[in-house]
Amino acid sequence: MPVILIAAIAAVTFPNASFAQQKKLVLWTHWDQNPDFNKWYADKGKEFAKKTGYEVEVVTIPYQGYDAKYLAAFMAKSSAPDIFMGMTHQWCGQYDFCDKMPADLAKVYDENLPKYMADIGKWKGVRYGIPIEHGNFQQMYINVDMFKKAGLNPDDPPKTFDKWLADMKKLTIADPKGGEPTQVGFAIRSKGAPVGITDKFLPFAHAWGARMLSPDLDKATGYANSPQMVAALTFFGDLVNKDKVASLAFGNPEDAFGQKRAAVIFRESWFFGWLKKNAPDVNFKVYALPCEKACPGAGALFPWTDLVYKNSPNKQVAWEFMKFISNAKDDMEHHQLQGILPVWTANLDTPYVKSRPDYQSTKDMLAQTVPPTYFHPKSNELATAFGDAVVGVLFGKGQPKPLLDEAAAKMDRILKD
Amino acid sequence: MRRWFRIAFPRNYLDRRSRAGFLFVLPALLFFGSVFILPLAQSVLYSFYKIAPGGAREFVGLRLYEKVLTDLSFWTAVGNTLQLLLFSVPTTVILALAVALGLNRISSLTWRNVWASMYFLPFATSLVAAALIWQWIYEPVYGFLNYALSFLGIPPQKWLQSLFQVRPAIAAVSVWVRIGFDTMIFLAALQSIPEEYYEAANIDGANAVQRLRYITLPLLNPQIIMVCILELIFNFKIFDQVYATTQGGPAGESQTIIMLLYDTAFKYFRFGDASVMAVFVFVTLMVVTLLQWRFFRKPVEY
Repeated sequence: MPVILIAAIAAVTFPNASFAQQKKLVLWTHWDQNPDFNKWYADKGKEFAKKTGYEVEVVTIPYQGYDAKYLAAFMAKSSAPDIFMGMTHQWCGQYDFCDKMPADLAKVYDENLPKYMADIGKWKGVRYGIPIEHGNFQQMYINVDMFKKAGLNPDDPPKTFDKWLADMKKLTIADPKGGEPTQVGFAIRSKGAPVGITDKFLPFAHAWGARMLSPDLDKATGYANSPQMVAALTFFGDLVNKDKVASLAFGNPEDAFGQKRAAVIFRESWFFGWLKKNAPDVNFKVYALPCEKACPGAGALFPWTDLVYKNSPNKQVAWEFMKFISNAKDDMEHHQLQGILPVWTANLDTPYVKSRPDYQSTKDMLAQTVPPTYFHPKSNELATAFGDAVVGVLFGKGQPKPLLDEAAAKMDRILKD
Repeated sequence: MRRWFRIAFPRNYLDRRSRAGFLFVLPALLFFGSVFILPLAQSVLYSFYKIAPGGAREFVGLRLYEKVLTDLSFWTAVGNTLQLLLFSVPTTVILALAVALGLNRISSLTWRNVWASMYFLPFATSLVAAALIWQWIYEPVYGFLNYALSFLGIPPQKWLQSLFQVRPAIAAVSVWVRIGFDTMIFLAALQSIPEEYYEAANIDGANAVQRLRYITLPLLNPQIIMVCILELIFNFKIFDQVYATTQGGPAGESQTIIMLLYDTAFKYFRFGDASVMAVFVFVTLMVVTLLQWRFFRKPVEY
């Protein structure tokens, strides 16, 4: 008891004494599907510690409800991370939680990022964050064996959505008893937060020539409920309700593809690494998304970046760490470890990237017209309101037009508030 | 003021007694004040302000009340909550009463305790863990429930992924979790009813239904009211099961008021709006509880 008492008094009296904990930077991420990518920061932190004495502790926050945890920490200040993964327009735009990137480091990124990524990590022209994923747009992953079995040529993927739908019908195996299909053509996202469902629907919307918000991001009515959007959502809903090439009973679409219950999924570059690790027996190829009136193009609703918390007492050291890992070699090592495309221009034609099945498809997607982006400070809330309409159609709660009208009106209220 | 001074500086035995009493109550008072009263007062205050994370506030009077109380999604969430409540509260109370009556008839104390423990176990389980287990039971393709129903020739159901089945399915989880707790309350109350009442009723020729109607239920009235109030509060504030299983889906059909409050506060960072919802929940529960207590409580003495 006296020992504990003395230790407690000593800890309070001499908080900075030599027996204090190892100095560390705390990094929060919610990319829980990429554990090797996250662990790399800690490994690199050990090298960094030799120079500065600061190690890096990585804390993986579950994606579900991550924003609430981040917000609570940032508001409390004392338990917040030094570095965190997030969207620049949200944490630096809607809220003022980010530290501006030092000019010399910003210059490094401005000079070394692919052109289409130059604005990711910036808010109002100022760079705050480091983009962490090239290929952060959906591409078409197909199961080669299922294509062959259905009499389709996996080397000749559908280029239009009409042809794509015809292929999906051939790939779907209905249940003879009238229940859920035993195999579906398309792994559709129907569960979870509506914002994620919006993200998965937007390539369809863009292919039909629709956009969720006006170009100035100040209006939804006339855009979110445009005739083109209604047509796109009708097509999307029909996949489940009329054509029955997708099922709401299949749960997580990534699992359905990995378990060979779905032949096609639209996902980003990280999915290559996820498949290699979690479903190594799936024989797959990656292609650019099909087109309709337009091509969906390389767009993303979630431009993830690494950011530094502006109230962190260690923010100078945090930027030092960011500088320490900001080079082409580390970029390559970091991303290759998890099977994600690196972000530095110098790495885009390396043997690793060329050997990936999405090398050509990434180039094809980038060659398409750049789709609209929605980097609005309230993008989460806007996309949730829009996603409610999408999910409503999938579950047969209503027709696309009235649901989109309702969503557009709600989005306008959010924009005005 | 003088009274407080005498508690602080007691002069006689009675003062010292008062001080002791006050000190005994103080920890609970501090806990209650800091965990319940203070946040409640803060919520009421915040409901008049538009607040940005970081602290910036703007006084907006009753504007947020007008905004929230005219928002369709708010009333949809209230409707969903009420439907969940209607499914689960009567079911839980009636089943718990039935189980308690059954347990009360088991003469072996050991077996009665064994059965009672079995009913009580779900209550001791973490709500999130229970919800996740039920999520797998309800799974449309591989779930146990559809597998079991297939033996009865019933086709697979979508349960948590159906617009129409999701609320009864979640309510069933609530019933499963809560039934043990309510059973314990009823069982304790049943055991305190003197056996003489039933003996007298038997002599008067009362049958089992009459004994239940004229002796058991009237004497259980305080417990029934208390259990109803507890269930009402529990189900009105339902969050964990919904968050872990459906996150408010499909298509918002299981979005409850507390889920909406959580999303509004921590996903969209609109603390003022969320505070209005918190005040609404508090006032509604308080009014309903008082009405229940006032109109349904019938003290009975024989």
